[in-house]
Amino acid sequence: MSDAALQSTDTNSATVFRFPTSEAIKHAVLILGAIVVLLPFYVMLSYSFKAPHEIMQNTGGFFGTQELFRDDFCIKLGNAVEDCMVRPVIYNYTTAFEKAPLLRYLMNGLIVTVSIFLIQIIVALPCAYALAKLRFWGREAVFGLVLFCLLIPVHAIALPLYIMLAKVGLTNTYAALIIPWTISVFGIFLMRQFFMTVPDDLIDAARMDGMSEYSIVWNVMLPTAIPALMAFGIFSVVAHWNDYFWPRIVITGNRDLFTPPLGLREFKGDADGDNFGPMMATACIIVIPLIAAFLLAQRRFIEGITLSGMK
Amino acid sequence: MPRSYAHLWFIAPALFLMFVILLLPIILAGTLSFTNYSLGNTGADWVGFDNYERIFTRSTYEKMFGATFRYVFVVVPMTVALGLGAALLIHSLTRFGDLYKTIYFLPVMAALIAMAIVWEFALHPTVGIVNATLERGCGTFLERWHWYAQGCDRTFPLWLTDRDYAIWTVAFIGVWQGFGFNMVLYLAGLTSIPRELYHAAEMDGAKSGWDRFRLVTWPMLGPTTVFVVTISFIRSFQVFDTVEAFYPQGGGPSKSVYVMMFAIYEKAIQQNLMGIGAAITIVFLGFVMFLTIIQRWLVERRTHYV
Repeated sequence: MSDAALQSTDTNSATVFRFPTSEAIKHAVLILGAIVVLLPFYVMLSYSFKAPHEIMQNTGGFFGTQELFRDDFCIKLGNAVEDCMVRPVIYNYTTAFEKAPLLRYLMNGLIVTVSIFLIQIIVALPCAYALAKLRFWGREAVFGLVLFCLLIPVHAIALPLYIMLAKVGLTNTYAALIIPWTISVFGIFLMRQFFMTVPDDLIDAARMDGMSEYSIVWNVMLPTAIPALMAFGIFSVVAHWNDYFWPRIVITGNRDLFTPPLGLREFKGDADGDNFGPMMATACIIVIPLIAAFLLAQRRFIEGITLSGMK
Repeated sequence: MPRSYAHLWFIAPALFLMFVILLLPIILAGTLSFTNYSLGNTGADWVGFDNYERIFTRSTYEKMFGATFRYVFVVVPMTVALGLGAALLIHSLTRFGDLYKTIYFLPVMAALIAMAIVWEFALHPTVGIVNATLERGCGTFLERWHWYAQGCDRTFPLWLTDRDYAIWTVAFIGVWQGFGFNMVLYLAGLTSIPRELYHAAEMDGAKSGWDRFRLVTWPMLGPTTVFVVTISFIRSFQVFDTVEAFYPQGGGPSKSVYVMMFAIYEKAIQQNLMGIGAAITIVFLGFVMFLTIIQRWLVERRTHYV
């Protein structure tokens, strides 16, 4: 509804004369909340711009003064002082990439999240189609099983999963990061509910044309499900890009397989007091891609993340 | 309809993975919880209910339940109340509502481990922005508040390393991170309430805003609330990232933040005590499944009152 329409309904009601004050109070409360919510984001961005001494003394405002400062590590390497003067923001962000193989971590994050999503679709879509549109013996039992499995959070059974993966020697591999998430019962449930709304005529027509069940799934059902898949994809990618618990358990020490959250955690582990700037720069680099995507496509993101609320 | 076996190919992979990835681990955890298994050992001894007995008698695990329930019973009511409050305020605004919605949703999107590290800086006793801001309030009317005056006299709390504050500070971060999610669910619930209901209620004499909320909004949000409460419980039971980031060893000052997921991680992964870890896993699963079953039961009764 447009603002004008809303306003007119308000004018009609009895609240008309105290409308401005109550609106102002609401804004005051919401702005206060917004300040608390934004505080860590402000700290993160601001520290990623500032020089170490500005961080320690809380000076320099949001961007810092951006005066050149001496990089002690560079001097330790035997360079002349003049060559070791650096601008804080550039120093922070270059150090973030140099001190740890951050690009590698980001790449790992991308590989893992994309593989998880693709495998989830390949497994869930045909199953959802069979549950929604095919009649076969045991269908109700399978659907019942799906409903039961919805009760199980994968994080909760991380320990036995870890033992199983360790037994077959798969810890410290990409497979370990991906395998537990290959089955998304939630995805099956969601797609099944969606396919229930697709008219049978569409499928019958495809069968008349001589399409196999296999090509019906991928050439008829998949295109109709694109909006639902987008929402599910956002849900899946956000969850696994940000996931820290599972990678923490199965990746022990092999830095080549670190996902971004693990990389950041390690950075924190060996931060030596004055490396706040580069660490905050790393945090920014990890957090900002999703935030930027969210700001660009808010409606879709909110739809996707709250998907689980629509059962 | 022609007989075809396509469905077998369609459901077989999913069925197989459900068994191997979701059901088998539960059976495995159930079995191991009665043993003293360690990874690397060839066998394990059957120890009966020893692991469970330990969980329900030893003081370490008493602290574990204490920390978990303190966290959960702060975070769930707070995220639900703030989520509902924010949704009601935003829904009643004529403008800028979307802006607040975007801001409040940001923490849901951000990697919690990164934000935990930022919070640790913000709450740092000497260089942190929180205590620096509080100190600026010294000497003003705020000092009339006993707690504040004490903070000015000595120092403001060490938030994360003080035994009395640690779990509440971690819970605060949980609330900070989670209420935007509930807000969005409530906003969806609010937009689906038909306007006619409010007009009808007004005609029946519901004059004040509180009456309208009590008679229309709250009952109509019943199903949303059931869902929001359940998902908040499940999410907050699984808290791990913040605890591990702040206290990589030992679960905080005097184990006051020793939550269940961290206990599983510490006992099983760090100390290789698989039996006890498996037993905690089973207890944990029990909680989560119990909650979800209650939710389904409430939804199936189609109740509007919680």
